[in-house]
Parts: sequence; C-alpha cells; structure tokens
Amino acid sequence: MLKKRLVGVVTIRNGWAVQSFGYRRYLPLGKPEILIENLDRWGADEILVQCIDRSVNGAGPDFDLLERIGRIGVSTPLIYVGGIRDAVDAVRSVKLGADRVAVDAILRDCPEQLVKISKELGAQALIADLPVRLEGDCLRWLDYRNRREEALSGSILNVLEPRCVSEVMLSDWSHEGSPQSFDEALVNAFPLADMPLIVFGGLSTAAQMQRLLERSQVVAAAVGNFLSYEEHAIQTFKRALKGISLRPAVYSTHGY
Amino acid sequence: MHKPLTCTRCLYSTDHPLGLTLDEKGVCSGCRIHEEKDRLDWGLRWSRLVSLVAPYRATSGKTWDCIVPVTGGNDSYFIVHLVKERLGLNPLLVTYNKYFNTPLGIRNLANLRIRFNCDILMQNVNPLSVKNITRTSLREFGSMYWPCLAGQTVFPVQTAVRYKIPLIIWGAHQGLEQVGMFSHEHEVEMTWRYRKDHDLIGHEADDLLSIFDTLTEQDIWQYRYPNDSSLNAVGVRGIYLGNFVRWDPKAQHELMVERHDYRGTRFARTFDTYDHVDCYNFMDLHDHLKLLKHGYSKVTDHACREIRHGRLSRDQAVRLVRHYEAQPLRHLGKFCEWLGVEARSLEFIMNQHRNPNVWEEEKHGCWVRKEMIAVSQSDNTDVEQTLGFQAHAELNNGERDRYIVIGKGYPT
Repeated sequence: MLKKRLVGVVTIRNGWAVQSFGYRRYLPLGKPEILIENLDRWGADEILVQCIDRSVNGAGPDFDLLERIGRIGVSTPLIYVGGIRDAVDAVRSVKLGADRVAVDAILRDCPEQLVKISKELGAQALIADLPVRLEGDCLRWLDYRNRREEALSGSILNVLEPRCVSEVMLSDWSHEGSPQSFDEALVNAFPLADMPLIVFGGLSTAAQMQRLLERSQVVAAAVGNFLSYEEHAIQTFKRALKGISLRPAVYSTHGY
Repeated sequence: MHKPLTCTRCLYSTDHPLGLTLDEKGVCSGCRIHEEKDRLDWGLRWSRLVSLVAPYRATSGKTWDCIVPVTGGNDSYFIVHLVKERLGLNPLLVTYNKYFNTPLGIRNLANLRIRFNCDILMQNVNPLSVKNITRTSLREFGSMYWPCLAGQTVFPVQTAVRYKIPLIIWGAHQGLEQVGMFSHEHEVEMTWRYRKDHDLIGHEADDLLSIFDTLTEQDIWQYRYPNDSSLNAVGVRGIYLGNFVRWDPKAQHELMVERHDYRGTRFARTFDTYDHVDCYNFMDLHDHLKLLKHGYSKVTDHACREIRHGRLSRDQAVRLVRHYEAQPLRHLGKFCEWLGVEARSLEFIMNQHRNPNVWEEEKHGCWVRKEMIAVSQSDNTDVEQTLGFQAHAELNNGERDRYIVIGKGYPT
C-alpha cells in the first residue's frame, strides 16, 4: 500500500519565503533555500515550493531558485509550482531538480499544454493546483491573478479526467493561514471521485489531518505557515497521526 | 535598476535583511504586527504564559526550572525580572563571553546576578579560535559579530541538552519585533531554521570550513547546534516573552533602572542609551558594517521602534538617523589591536562588502551613498530630551577603556 504524505509548503513572493494568509496578506519568513533545507532535515515526505508571483508577472518559472535548491542537495522529493507556461518550462524545471511540477494558471490559459507536459514528463510528475472555495454546493475556482472566481466547470474537469495529471491539489485559498479552518466539505464537493487529492489551506492540527488522511481519496496533507512556529513541527504532526500509513517521524543524530 | 520600497510609516525598506512586506497602503509588515500591541488582551496572554511554563517547574529542588540567556545589556534585566519575580521560576542564567565586553556591561551583569540571586554559567571559547573565526567571517561575509551571535544563540541550547533543562526563555523575537515575521498569536518558538537564516546570516559553523582557509574543526566545534535526536530526547523548546507581554524596551529599561539599578550610557551612533551597553563593537564597528552592507544602521532600528510606539514622528526619526549614522567610529583601535590587524587592512576587507545598490566609489577610497534623502540640518536636542533616554555611566564605567575579556587573559 502506498504511504500517505505530509507535504511541507514553502511560499515565495519577490524571492522571499513568506507566510501567506488568504492569498492576499503576507509576512516575511526568510530565505527559501533555508526553509527547504529545514523541511528536508525534519523529514517532510515531500516539499512543495510555490512561487506565487511568477505567473502574475509573466516571469516564467524561477529557474535560478531551482538551481540554488539543487545546490543544497535535499533528499526530499520536490514539487515546483509557479510560472510554468508550457512543456519546455516544465521539462527544464525537472532537469534543474524538481521531481514533479504543479500548474495553476495554464489550466485556465492554455489547458492543452497540460497534455503536452504530461506527455513529456508522465502524468505521475504533473499536479493540478486548484484554489477553490464552496459557495452553497458549488465549487468556485479562483484565478488568483485577478481574484475572479468561476464555477469549476466541465471544461477543466474534462482535461483532468483523462488522467494527464496524477493528483489535484485542492487549495482552500480563503482559509489559507487561518488555524483549523480547512473546509472539509471541499473534498465531498470535488466531482472527480477517483482523482487523488492533496489538501492544503488552513490545516493546523493533527486532528484535522487525521480526518482528511483517513479518507481514501486524500493522499497527502500540505502545510505551510503552521510549520514555521515551532521546532520539529513535521515530526510532531507525524507522531500525533495515528493509524495513518506515513513514513515515521525521524530525528537526525547528525550535528549542525 | 534595483529600487526598494520604503514603509509609509516607519523607515524600513523592502531591502531589510530579515525580509519585509508592504501591504496595499504601503505599510510594512512590522508596523502592522506592531498594531497588535494595542489590540491584544495582554492579561489573557500573560495567563497563557503562566499555563505554558507550569509543567516545567522543578519539584525536586535539585535543578533549575528553565534557562535564561543574559548579557550585561539589552533586555536581560527585564527578562529575569519577569521569569523570577513575576513567574516565580528558578532560572539558570547563561551567558556567552563575546570578548568585546565593556566595564559597564560587566558591572551590569554582576549586579544582575546579585540583585536577582541567580546561578549563572559562562561560556568561554578560547580566544585564538574566536579570533580565527572572526577573521574568516569578516573576510567571507563581512561580519565581525558572527562568533558572538553564534555563541549567544547556541550556548543556551547546548546547556539545555547538557543539563536536561527543557525550557529556554528568551525576550522578544527580533523577526517579529522588527519586520513582523509572525503575529504575537502565532506564539513562535526558537527554531534552528530562524537561527541559521537570520542570526547566522545563513552560515552554520561547519559552513565556515573550507580547504582554502586555515580555520579548522577545532576552532568551530563549540558553535555546533545540538542534533535533533538530543533536542527531542530532552524536549528542548525556547519560548519568547514578547509573545505574552506588551514588549516596549524603553519603558522596560526605565523600570529596571528604577528598580534594579540597571545602567545605560551615551553612544556616538544612536540615541538609545540602554541597548547593547555590554559591547564596544555592537553600536560601533558592527554597526558600521551593517550600514555598509544593508544601507542602514542600528539607529534606524531604534527610530522605527520609537515611531511605532508613538514617541517619534517620521520626520524626527529621519533627522536623528541621518545625524547618528554619519558619526565616526570610536572603538576601532581596540578591535584592530585585539584581532591583530591594521586599520587599513580592515578597511579594505570592509569595502569588499559594501552593498553596490547603496554605495558607489566616486574616486579611489571615497565612497558615497547613491541616494540620500535630503534632510535639513537641525538641532535634535529637543527631540532627544522629549524622548528621555537616560545615561548613567560611561561605557568604561570610570575604568581604563579596554575589553574585559574575562577567562583566559583577564583583564586584557
């Protein structure tokens, strides 16, 4: 049986790692490389690096950052998100050290690129990032660049359906950064019942993660801000998650 | 062209080395988080602290309840006051010998131990290793203070592991206070990540070793952070009092002057008389290096803090900063003598680390700021009198002006 995963999220804006709250308010944290090195040290199962201003500015992926991360030599699998415009960008991101890539803006702008990226990298290396919230029973999908929402419609779901992506990251953007606020009804409302989900946004307690990870469709819980407040946050969550098939918490015996 | 943005309230820019964000109104994250000081229920927050420390009270009477890092300056008196007199804990004080000790700082530290009747441990790393590391950190990343920062932040953690005392109590979190890295309600704790990223400027002790340098493992091993397994076995955690107390260094120091005879002094390069009185270099050479590398010096930190507390207007703050950051160094000779380096050699090294976004060399050896806010020359006496920072002694406390190096080689 495949293990479930606890994913550490590093959000980057203007080159700085930041705490992000509801996709609109930000607090500085530090240098992305050092946060990534720290998540590797803590034994996160995967690290998701999301550069949130690259698509807004049309800057493309942050290849310099990927090179710097590559030089750290982390052993944790890395997902890169931010500014990917086409298969060329995606392939280059992987060549520079990302194990997988996630896409958001091109799902809207150029969904056909998804198939091309999937062909180049394989579906296992491609994740669709969907910032959503519930309005009544309807899932509303946010374009974070202009903060407009639309119903999560058949057109995008049809692209995801043929399995050109391996997982969908369901991001509860409106609760991002607020403790214990992830809207678990988002999972029920997501229409592709057999699509593996990474859940993100407002996950701050092990009890929340436990409930979500017990659902067969949820394969990973992703946490950002809440990993920055104390030492060994990943290990603490892992130790508190009972009966979930996760890699165990590890405490390194190497000095620093 | 690189163009940092400056906060519309305080004087910090987006080039701040800890990082800084501005909101849609141009107000920085530090100023926004500072607003919490007037919004939060501090009585409630104090009761959270009381509950947090309760399980750490030792019942055997044979050990200490917690570790408190101290110096002969900064907020040490207030921290020990809160820990011992208000929380009723029995702390083990720990202090790292930074070698640049002032007679006033030594006096303040001695008085602290006597007044609060606390046990204290001092870490003395051998002076040759400290000098070797200082040469390397100066040359490699323009820091003459790396050993001090590394020692002050690692010795308490090493002591926690060695003596199996899990709780370390620090004062305020610098990242929260200066740039609003966290909300007070996040109750951020001590982490290896923050220390490496910000206190150590991204360089752990082992990162200093290079085949192109003479620095060896024998020099740096005492600055190594305990491993995760050791930290976990003891359950080490470090908390910050600033998350639970409305932190106001000026008011706190004034209280400590009155109650416990803390003593401040006048500095050439800032108006604050209470901060870092234990060190000849923090407000002097280290401060100058900060100006070269980042384009601002400690007086800006003090001015921003006073703006946020409503005791300075932005215009007054700009004038104070422009006056103080232009003041010449007073204690360079002592450092050159201690390190065994010529002043010109030191200047050469320092110039290698000038920030090209801030400085340009007009002609050989003549550096000027690229952009300087025009400020009318004015007398700041009234402003400083209103602020009311008090001095009680000279840095040398009436003695000979030299480093009190303690341990090996006292007094010089």
